[in-house]
Amino acid sequence: MTSKKVTKRDVIKLLNQWRQEFAVFVPSIESGVATMARWEGKDTSFLDWYRNTVIPPKANFLPPMEEMFRFRKDREGYNIELPPDGEKQLIFGIRPCDARALAIIDANFRDLYQDPYYLSRRNSAVLVGLGCTNPHDSCFCTSLGVSPGESADVDLMLTDIGDEFLLEPISAAGKELIARSRGLKEVTKDDETRAKEIKETSYNKVTRKINAEGIGAKLLAGFDDQDYWEKVAAKCISCGICTLLCPTCYCFDINDELTKQQGTRFRSWDSCAFPIYTKMPMENPRQEKWRRVRQKVCHKFGFYPTNFNVIACTGCGRCIRLCPVNWDITQVLESVPLIETKRGKASNTL
Amino acid sequence: MEQRLRSKTRALLEQGKVDWIIGFEPGSLKFTTTPLITKDKNDTDRLVINPFIVNNLANFLTQVKGRVGIVVKGCDSRSVVSLIQDNKVAREDLVILGIPCTGVIDLSKIEKLVGKDRDELNDIAREGDKVIIRVNGKKKEFPTTQTLFDNCLACELPTPQEYDILLGEPSSPIANPAAQEGIKKLKQMTPEQRWIFWEGELSRCIRCYACRNVCPACFCQRCFVEETEPQWVFPAPRWQDNLIFQITRNIHVAGRCTDCGECERACPVNIPLRSLTREMYDIVGELFQFKAGMDKDAPPLMTHYEEKEAEDFFR
Amino acid sequence: MTTTNIRPSKFLAQDNVYLPHIAVIERIIEETPGIRTLHFNFKDGKLKKEFSFESGQFGEYSIFGIGEAPFCISSSPTRRHHLEFTAQRVGRVTNALHRLGVGAEIGFRGPYGNSFPLDFLKDKNLVFVGGGIGLAPLRSLIWNVIDNRDKYKNIALVYGARSPADLCFKYDLDAWGKDKTIKFVTTVDRGDASWTGRVGVVPKILEEVAPSAKNAVAIVCGPPIMIRFTFPVLEKLGFTPEQMLTTLEKRMKCGIGKCGRCNIGNIYVCRDGPVFSYEQIKSFVSSEY
Repeated sequence: MTSKKVTKRDVIKLLNQWRQEFAVFVPSIESGVATMARWEGKDTSFLDWYRNTVIPPKANFLPPMEEMFRFRKDREGYNIELPPDGEKQLIFGIRPCDARALAIIDANFRDLYQDPYYLSRRNSAVLVGLGCTNPHDSCFCTSLGVSPGESADVDLMLTDIGDEFLLEPISAAGKELIARSRGLKEVTKDDETRAKEIKETSYNKVTRKINAEGIGAKLLAGFDDQDYWEKVAAKCISCGICTLLCPTCYCFDINDELTKQQGTRFRSWDSCAFPIYTKMPMENPRQEKWRRVRQKVCHKFGFYPTNFNVIACTGCGRCIRLCPVNWDITQVLESVPLIETKRGKASNTL
Repeated sequence: MEQRLRSKTRALLEQGKVDWIIGFEPGSLKFTTTPLITKDKNDTDRLVINPFIVNNLANFLTQVKGRVGIVVKGCDSRSVVSLIQDNKVAREDLVILGIPCTGVIDLSKIEKLVGKDRDELNDIAREGDKVIIRVNGKKKEFPTTQTLFDNCLACELPTPQEYDILLGEPSSPIANPAAQEGIKKLKQMTPEQRWIFWEGELSRCIRCYACRNVCPACFCQRCFVEETEPQWVFPAPRWQDNLIFQITRNIHVAGRCTDCGECERACPVNIPLRSLTREMYDIVGELFQFKAGMDKDAPPLMTHYEEKEAEDFFR
Repeated sequence: MTTTNIRPSKFLAQDNVYLPHIAVIERIIEETPGIRTLHFNFKDGKLKKEFSFESGQFGEYSIFGIGEAPFCISSSPTRRHHLEFTAQRVGRVTNALHRLGVGAEIGFRGPYGNSFPLDFLKDKNLVFVGGGIGLAPLRSLIWNVIDNRDKYKNIALVYGARSPADLCFKYDLDAWGKDKTIKFVTTVDRGDASWTGRVGVVPKILEEVAPSAKNAVAIVCGPPIMIRFTFPVLEKLGFTPEQMLTTLEKRMKCGIGKCGRCNIGNIYVCRDGPVFSYEQIKSFVSSEY
């Protein structure tokens, strides 16, 4: 099926249609903080200011806090109840970097055991991507195989061609969604040419670059260089901003809460930057800050690729924009020393 | 000022008077600086002093071992003194390079005034009592006071009192009442309205703990939120538990917080944390006539006992 | 290397990998003042009969409302009357565990992880080296081996603890001491008035016992410091890194390789371990074990 288009003025009608079927999430701003929030049906003014959200759309699939199950004790013992099924979500305006990030962390939630909470949300959701026309100076998606204007990881891809959006179906779900949406216009050859130009312009607007080629091997070769990692970690303050707001970070904590004879098991966002992340009663293998910083960098650019063949970073730049001390991963990656070690191997073998 | 700073810090390292230099260097984004923590004298050439030196570098004093040459503005110098009062760092292990501060530019305020994001601006320059912003070939001017951080407007000590080297002419407090807008609004609310206000704000909190980690007064090896026996605060970002975290942290830093404003600046979801910390700061001043970080020989407020205590149950 | 393939647990409650099964505590043994072994069985009759696991695997045990913690299954798969696990009181969940009584209900998820490679151990001489509560995962394997005695050659066991009061599984130690097919040596770091056995740290006693490395595999489990000093002793005795097995411990939450925290490099101790050979450990990119 070919693309269609919709005027920016009519986007609200489209969202209203989709709202009959899905819980529609759109970029929203509150106290200067952009997030994907439930669309209340009022307007599409977000189209005026939207660049990207502070909280990444991973929050719609792996929420900051999530109930796993409830338990209740009666005379016969414990009963466990699952929370009610979630709603079908439609995320409108997800950027290619964030959509790719979801595809990247899917691997973790599918591997060996299927994570029911994440996957049920993921399988029922529809992603309507929106190509960037104004990337931040902190974005470096193009160095990681992501294009700001295109995405294979969404169901429907929108390109801003002036007063209108071009809608390209990417997946079967996207095709079906277009087929049952009303108010869409036919696309002309000029529209398609214009879209192509805009995508190229956006690509070239991304000025921050890293060389991701062989980065895993480089990092792992220098893994034991404590002096280097101490220098890298010096100004880090071990908060969780870079990891919690990273669209490809997924670490979580599990805790119980009890009120008399009933309670809940929750999971919530956690970070390898926190000192107690790996703490055991008698020892903590990452007590020192440099070890934790090393873990974060090497996991994203070394360990995850070893396991799943993909770097766990899409260059969205949130970590650079929001770090309180302007710790910049692109600077770190560009400064990894080339170290020849006896080790030779770049990964663990089993 | 910058040249003098660079040559002084290089000399300090060369002569072995300090092991570390902690200062500011240009950041990787426009209008940003980042902490420079180094033992290498050649790195000192990168040190800068400009309207964007926002970090409170005293935070790093509890992390590095050895003697430190540290660059501080007025607020940061009070944090240093507060750490000396708490016995976390010794005065003789420090060479304090003081910068008389005329206020740090708050990029969020500039973004609101100009209606553009910071990476869309071409230049921000400070010229006396005006800030000149260049964007898209056009020039926009604003009074400086409209562009500075709230805590800079409320700052009581812009020029460090405790220093070894003062890099410039002393500056005076700006004392602009606009700084207290947030707190004034809150004080005009009823308790029920305030409850709703904080529910709204703290629902955005994701428990990144940047507010805690950026604070020089928070130097506990194990924070109370990390305790499991007992679990003082639920470890997930439920707004009520976020509130408990903030209230408790404020009580823990009372008497040691110098209103440097870093907690509010670091918060990635714009929670107006300074409304809590500044209010606590003012309460401490009112009840105990005490301001943190003013006198390095003064005992810390909350851990000090005098025979003439105000409360009966102490006597 | 020769660890068993990773196979996911097929015992899922309500098809959800995070949901525990309900189990009932049947017996509690106070091994030492801070360590207890709990015997349990699943409440559901069908699961009680069908549940199976292999030596070395662990489970995530829930105290509802307090939390979940990983412990190895310390009973042997050859003795399925009930299941056992052993826990030392060190934190929130274990404190709650130590307050449970017989009849209390807990949750169980598992079995998780890999297991001791029985094929690799077949027809070999086995040297078990244990310290303190580290005997728990070894114990599952030792009884497993004894119950299939003709599949293995000589068995030697060197087990020690800080003091006689800290020795765990004293009832097993009695049984193994009486078993003529086991060369059994216990030791304590510090004896007491009634102690007549050897005195000395486990690595030192191991060196004195000097088991032969010929056609042998050593299985070591104990506090990290004991393991770190035992490996060099075994190397001195001629054991190659492939001939040394151990189980590693990490802080765990999900137990199934999702939450991220138990990693050493790209390996997750909960899904690729906890059984590893010293050869594998040496190739770990990280020395954080």
